[in-house]
Amino acid sequence: MTIEQSTIKQTTMAAAFIATLKRDLLISFKKKNDVVNPFMFFVIVVSLFPIGISPDSDRLSEIAAGVIWISVLLASMLSMDNLYRSDYEDGSLEQLLLSPHPLFFMVLAKNLSHWLVSGLPVVLISPLLAYMLNLPQAAYFTLICSLLIGTPIMSLVGSIAVALTVGLGSRGLILAVITLPMSVPVLIFGTLSVQASLNNTSPAGYLALMLAMLAVAVSLAPLASATALRISVN
Amino acid sequence: MWLWFSKLGSPKWFYELSGRWLPWLIAAMTIFITVGVIWGLLYLPPDYQQGYTSRILIVHVAVAGTSLAFFPLMAVAGVITMVWRMKLADMVAKMAAPIGAWFSFLTLATGSIWGSISWGTWWEWTDARLVTMLFQLFLLLGVISLRSALEDQDKAAKACALLSIVGLINVVVIKYSVEWWNVLHQVASPVSLSADSPNGPQFWIAIAIMIVAMYLFLSVSLILATRNEILQRERRSQWVQDLVRQS
Repeated sequence: MTIEQSTIKQTTMAAAFIATLKRDLLISFKKKNDVVNPFMFFVIVVSLFPIGISPDSDRLSEIAAGVIWISVLLASMLSMDNLYRSDYEDGSLEQLLLSPHPLFFMVLAKNLSHWLVSGLPVVLISPLLAYMLNLPQAAYFTLICSLLIGTPIMSLVGSIAVALTVGLGSRGLILAVITLPMSVPVLIFGTLSVQASLNNTSPAGYLALMLAMLAVAVSLAPLASATALRISVN
Repeated sequence: MWLWFSKLGSPKWFYELSGRWLPWLIAAMTIFITVGVIWGLLYLPPDYQQGYTSRILIVHVAVAGTSLAFFPLMAVAGVITMVWRMKLADMVAKMAAPIGAWFSFLTLATGSIWGSISWGTWWEWTDARLVTMLFQLFLLLGVISLRSALEDQDKAAKACALLSIVGLINVVVIKYSVEWWNVLHQVASPVSLSADSPNGPQFWIAIAIMIVAMYLFLSVSLILATRNEILQRERRSQWVQDLVRQS
């Protein structure tokens, strides 16, 4: 017991953060399905829009940004489901709660790893899909920037809802009902920034606002997630 | 001061106190609603521009004003639940959510009916108030479905408390981003409800009466619902069983 405690004291907070991050990334790497499926879902949903709405390239270029943003939203929500679930089921979440390090940083590490495996691939493929949707060239850079800022916000905010519902058996829909209305501001500024660069005005203001949202989300959302986890697990 | 606060946390004390208040509240509510509805809907002179449709606003503005109170109310109750573990706060929060959702829905419905005549459309995405109200409704429905999904009462109380606090922040952020969104789309709000309209004070007095009436209605329905919840949750305690046996 005393030996264990002394080893715990030796690990710094940064080391614990990195250990959690590494562990989660390793798990995602081993369970490729959880990573690939939301990604495939995103690609498929985006390709359904031209079929459902119109193959007309002018009309598509008008809606391209919105289609990509909404599909990203849906895909991130799907992938969100396994953010804490497997850890909850095998008991490692309880160990995380018992750790002497602040839960805030553990949650942040889990959110970061979730974003790296689910948000980032979606951002990286988005130019290709934007090309398929005939988004004008001028908006590519802004689209990628806004997605790069927006997807971590979604991960952080969605994490609260996931943490609240982690003990429930079937929670796919309730997660959507809670999370989707919350992502309205991100969606608004994400599409606004793309619209701005389409109109040849500077999108910097919107991107700055989104960065501000990200700053607020990074500092507050893990706090709420941590509280939610303590509520759900006890 | 703190004695009063901890007393308020006791469901029994609240049940007795609210039982004494309720007749007065109901009487006041009846008077205000009767006066407001009859005067506002039957005798108010028509607006110089909108004609008789402005009478719909008497109901709409009052309901809308009241529906804005729910998220702050639930968030405050949520803080009390999380910090002091007060059971009563959670009962109030639990009962406030469906009432709030209903008020939000009524706001949207009466607003649409009014808008269908004044704006010529049932729904207008360029109006920030409409869109914000829609998402407030969605967030409230989220709180309700979270509550019904969690079976453990204590867990549900804390989870919904947290979600209400997060939701309040979110409603505010949504409100400002939607407003911004509209300003940048450069579509003027179709109508402004400024107080300096040439309708004279009558219109605003009628609206004020209806707002008071709606807040009274909110308090009465919330108290009645909370009393119901108290009886259900405290059904094993002695005073509830005595109460049931007496009646």
